[in-house]
Parts: sequence; C-alpha cells; structure tokens
Amino acid sequence: MKTAKPLPLEGIRVMDLGQFIAMPFCTLWLAWLGAEVIVVESRKRSTARTAPPFAEGHDRDFNASGYFNFLNAGKKSCAVDMTTAAGRDIVRQLAGKVDVVVDNFSTGVLEKLGLGYESIVKLHPTVIMASNGAFGRTGPMRNSRGLHSAVNLFSGVADVTGYDGGHPRILGGVIPDPLSGTYSNFAILAALHHRNRTGEGQFIDLAMYEAMMTLIPEAVIDYTLNGVEPERVGSRDSMKAPHGIYRCKDDDTWLALSVASDEEWMALCGVAQRPEWAADARFKTADARQKNVAALDLAVEGWTRGQQVHAATDALQAASVAAGPVLRIDELLDDAQLNERGLVITTDHPVVGKRCQLGIPWRMDSLGINYQHAPLVGEHTHQTLTELIGIDAATYARLEADGVLA
Amino acid sequence: MTRAAATTPAGPLAGLSVVELGDGTSGPYAAKMLGDFGAEVVKVETAAGDSTRRRGPFPDGRPDPEASGLFLYLNLNKYGVTLDLKTTAGRIALDHLLSNADIFISNLSSETLRAADIGPLSLRERYPNLIITTISPFGSTGPWANRKGDELITYAMSGMAYSTPGMPDASDDLEREPPLHPAANVNETIAGLVAATATLTAVFGRSRTGEGCHVEVSQQAALAAMQIRDITTASFTGERYNRLLNPMTIGRMPNFYVPCKDGYVTVAAPMDIHWERLVEAMGKPDWALSKDYATGAARTVNWVALRLKIIEWTMKLTGDELHAIAEEMQLPMFPFYSIRKVADCEQVRERRSLVDVDIGGKRARMPGAPFALRKSPWQLRRPAPRLGEHNEMLLGQLAGATS
Repeated sequence: MKTAKPLPLEGIRVMDLGQFIAMPFCTLWLAWLGAEVIVVESRKRSTARTAPPFAEGHDRDFNASGYFNFLNAGKKSCAVDMTTAAGRDIVRQLAGKVDVVVDNFSTGVLEKLGLGYESIVKLHPTVIMASNGAFGRTGPMRNSRGLHSAVNLFSGVADVTGYDGGHPRILGGVIPDPLSGTYSNFAILAALHHRNRTGEGQFIDLAMYEAMMTLIPEAVIDYTLNGVEPERVGSRDSMKAPHGIYRCKDDDTWLALSVASDEEWMALCGVAQRPEWAADARFKTADARQKNVAALDLAVEGWTRGQQVHAATDALQAASVAAGPVLRIDELLDDAQLNERGLVITTDHPVVGKRCQLGIPWRMDSLGINYQHAPLVGEHTHQTLTELIGIDAATYARLEADGVLA
Repeated sequence: MTRAAATTPAGPLAGLSVVELGDGTSGPYAAKMLGDFGAEVVKVETAAGDSTRRRGPFPDGRPDPEASGLFLYLNLNKYGVTLDLKTTAGRIALDHLLSNADIFISNLSSETLRAADIGPLSLRERYPNLIITTISPFGSTGPWANRKGDELITYAMSGMAYSTPGMPDASDDLEREPPLHPAANVNETIAGLVAATATLTAVFGRSRTGEGCHVEVSQQAALAAMQIRDITTASFTGERYNRLLNPMTIGRMPNFYVPCKDGYVTVAAPMDIHWERLVEAMGKPDWALSKDYATGAARTVNWVALRLKIIEWTMKLTGDELHAIAEEMQLPMFPFYSIRKVADCEQVRERRSLVDVDIGGKRARMPGAPFALRKSPWQLRRPAPRLGEHNEMLLGQLAGATS
C-alpha cells in the first residue's frame, strides 16, 4: 500500500518506548508518513500485546492482539529486556542511532533504569526525547498516575460535559491518549525542524491534561476573567439554536442538528413542514430561540421522532441546514464519506489477516503515505542490532542465550 | 521578510512564514500552533473581522470585538491585516503576502476561495513551493464534500457523540441520556491541531521534493481517526458499540465513575493487585471478602451490587480524601476537578499550564504551551492583533487594498 509519491518523513528514525495508546499513536502516524519507527519491547512485560481483542483462535497470542496491531502498524519490533544491564546498554546505543526517542512510562521509570533524558543526552547530545505523562514530568503531581478518565476529570473538560443541569461526565473515546499523541507528533516535528536549523536537540515534556485544556479555552477564560463557572447544558450552544442531538424514529438513532441563522431556521421549518413554527414569535430570532430553547428542543424532537435519520439528514442538507447522523464507532468503517476519503484502510497481517482500521485524516497531492501491518514481536531484533549498532554474530548469540532479547 | 523583530529568542519554527485566511477555531488554531512556536503568521480578516470576535467570553459579559477571550486566545502571536478579496486591490495585496510565504492555511469554504481566485489548484500553479493547507467539515471530495457541517455535526459523525459519556461512565438511561456533545469546540480544535501537524509534515516533505503541497484536512476524519481503541473492538469482533453502562463497555470490574461526598470520582481496580489495595483502603469490609467478590469473574458477574457497595463507601469521603487514599495506595482513583479547582491548583501553577493575559484591561488566564519544549519554548511574543492593526506596516505601499 505504498504510493509512488515520496514519503514526507523518510530518513527520520525513532526509538519507540511507548506503552498502550498515547505514544504508540504518535509514532503510528510518523511511521505511516515514512519515518522508521523501532518499537523496543519485551515478551516478559505485560503490554498492549497481552490485551484483547485477539483474532479468533489466537487468544493471548502476542502477535494477535488487535489493540497492539492497530497502534503499531508499519513499525519495526526489537525485543530487548530493559531490566537487564545488557538490555539497557543496547537501548543506550540505539539512542545514538535515532533522531528521536519517545516514551510514556510513569514518571521516573526510565530514570530508575538509567535511561532517562539526562543519562541519554550525556552520550548523545543532539537526541530529541519526547516524554508524555498524565500530569507531565514536572510539578507536585508528576508522580500521580492517571488513566484517560482521570485526565478528563482533572483537565476541566468534564466540567463542560454533561446533561442539562446534571453532573460532570467523561468524554468518549479515551481521547486524552490520541490527542496528546498528536500534540507529541507536532512537538517532535517542531523539535526536528529546530535541530535542522541549529544542530540542537532537546527534551519535550508533555502532560496529557495540558493537551485536554486546549479544548476548553472559553471556559478557562470565562472563569479567570469573570469568575464565571460553566453550567452544563447538554449539547446546546450559547449562540446557535436549535443545536442538539435529537431522537429519530428507529431504535437508538439520532440526528445532530445545528442552526446558525434565521434563514436556516426558516429552512428547517420548511423541511419539517411546520409553518406554525415559522410564525411563532418564541422562535423568530436567534435571541428568542435561545430564550425559549427548552420549548424549541421539545418541538424539534417532536418532529425528528417521526423521521428516519438519513432521510431527515438528506432533506435538511438539501435545504442548506447543517445536519448529520450520529454515527456509532462500528459504523465509521462503513461510512461512505470516510471510505471515499481513503480513511478506511486494510492491512494484511501474517497472523490476524486482513483488518480494517482508520488511517491518516488528511490528503496530500505531492506526498505519499505508506500503510503496512504491525510487526511480529522481535521481528526486527536481529536486523536492528546487527545493522544499526553493529553487534557481531557471537555477541548476538550470547545475548539471545542470556535472555536479553526476549 | 524584513519585519521579524528578533527581540525574543527564536522559536523552533522561526523562519517559516504563514498566511492565514481563517475564521472560527479550526484554521486559526492551526496557524496559532505554528505562530506559537516561532513561525511568522499574518492573519487576513475581512472588515467585519473573524466571527470569534463576537463570541467572547468578554470582560463582564460586555461584547467588544477587541476583547473577545476566544479570539485573543486563538490569534495570539499573529500579525493582522484586513483585506477585501472581492476587489482587485485586495487580491493583489494577498498575492503580495503569498509571494513571501511558505504556508497558506484556510478553513473558508471552497466557493469563497475560488471566488477570490485562490482555490488550491490555482495557488498550486502560481506558487509551486507553497504549502496550502485547507480544512473543511468533510473534505473536498466524496458524497459529503458540499454539505454543511460545524463542530456539532462533525463531532456526531466522528463517533465521539455516540460514545460520550465515555467509559468508565457511560449512559445509564438510554432514554434520558442521549449521545452528548460538550460545551467546547473539541472537533474544531482537534482539526486545527491535525492541520498544523499535517502542515509540518509537508514542510519536511518539501525539503525532500523541492515542491509545495496541497494538504487537505477533513474535520470529521481528524476526530474519527482518533477512535483507535474502539475501532479495534469493532473491527476485530464486529460487535455493535454499546452505549449502556455495562461490563462490556466498562471492562474489568470495578471500573466505575461514581458520586462521592462532595462530587464525583472514578474508581478503577482492574487487576487483582488493585482490588486487594482497594479492599484494604475500604477497611476490609466483610462483603468485599465474600465469595461474591473474591475473583475478577465474580466481581464482573456481581457488578451491579458491587457498584452500589462502592458508592456506599465513596459517599462517606470527599474527593480530596479519596485522592489522598489513591496516592497512598497507588490506586487508579481520581476525583472530579472543577475548572475553578484545576485553574487554581499547584500543578497548573508550577507548570505554567495557564498564562496571564490582558483582556480589555482585565487580567485573565488562558492555556499556554500545550507541551514544554525545553530549549525552544513556547512564548507569548505578541498579543492577538486588533482589527487591521498591521495594515500600514505590511501593506502600506499597497494603498487601497485594505477594506
């Protein structure tokens, strides 16, 4: 699935000490865009390779975890046990052969192994290291652990998420992970650009909660400027009305609808064949609709409840009203638009076979993307150690016998 | 360009020059990311100004196009000019800016761009080295290419609305808790970040090919591509995503988001070791030691009762008390922080996650660096431009261009 066009990041080499989602997601895009990404991992550790879902008939097979395979497509795997002195020495040598090292261990784990930035930079002064933690690598909470839900709750994002008058809720999709992974991706490219200009490497300290805070500037500013704290208002908006997610005719189907102007409101009244709404003073202007939003939402849902979601979408869009179906995650793979955009990709893995996942969300006319399957565990250990750091056959055999390459 | 006044140390992207023709969040945020890290960004507005100038939050709620918090945040570190692209003079002025630029970023509609003769194809021909980044709700090809979408619509079509509230929370009442969008520009911000990342990717590509690139970002795709965990389940099991609070969506038990004495808290103990710590933290109550909860399998079967038992315990403690227990016992347990609480907490202060700004003469704080680049850090070089602030400086010689 490699295109004939040049890959934008070819020539960049990354050592990936990432775990689970955040940093593996960062390097996933780097790999697809042409970087050589070497995952340093060990069969002795419990990682995403031990997490479900597994391919049918391959329960607990290290090479059959969908979770690992989707997040590591197109990368290389080098099996090294970092709890051994020889393993740590290999990692130190590899750090000198790459442009970038990434990790998202708990704060302090790499330092305890003697593999933290301060140790690595002494050996390799121009290395770039991107380190991603829930709370970052500085501050009184640097050692706190946090899953995506904790990051949602700490960042303030949960404060603006919830039903009308209800309690704070958590966003879907473990979003702090891929979001901070994408910030990491940007940060790495910026640091590489800086190094190309100045010759200077550096440490990049990422906090997942800071990535999440960039989603809520309005709420942060309103509090720090005016002392105003958010009220949870469901899916409503302070300027657009109607603006919400409305129940449709078939079980668990929903229409997202957003009206930004009086013209669009009139168009909606036409599509819904509700001339009485168009004449209703409570709904005449944006201000009036905002003031009577509860009655407005009730009226709109009274109409959508009788509609099939895709038919209603088509009719509203034809009348220039912003509307769309609420898609389930499993429906994304079949979505005509995402398929047409080349976002739904298929990789063919030697153990799990052909699987569909979602690729790079943009197109480039003069540059290519290279979608490949995930590596088998340790598939590139020999190649990496012999070609990159020049380990000879006898040493390799000894390392293998000693369990360093497990 | 001659205007780069190097009074502050150069950022990592110093030397790159960007023209932004953006409105709202996605395009302006993409250009902000580049400007925040050292690129020189010129923002082009119409005489009416970017719509976020009318959005706020304003000091004491009084609308003022020069004191909108969202505008001032999204347009930090940029120069600003006003142009009327419906006139020849306006288009000549834009050409003047583009002829010196590395990057053009826009999230205006393709009709608007074509009407001003700055559609991507036209720009590619006239400026072969230019990187042209366009952002649209669904992308410029496909059955949805010409359809209308905004933050809410693309969020709904990215899978995010259906899966919000997210695990380990989830809806517990499908009738009263429909798919949910937060009161924030989540998808537009993410589309902007993705566009900025894509743009930098193309900068690297250009150094390989010597050629510009049209980078074309779909807002829907930007957020859909982040559904990496749940798409795995869909692809590997073919199962329908379940919106209901249940063991299938929540995973190993306990893994709950529950009320406590003064708010809400997540309590997770997915592995046996976590469960043992949690039982100890709860004071080893008899129920927790019974066979109903002795194994992971038993806890999953009895999860409804388990959840109620855990709520009985959390309701006796405050979020801070539960957090202290979590720190001491190394348990994945965390309380809800309001924006007030997080904005004022020590972690945010020490990391300078929020930075001081002036909004209409009042002090406020806004998100600063989204990550710390130790040697070439994020900097507030200049506040967002007033409407047309740099017309004279950047376009003085092109009399009549400004609107």
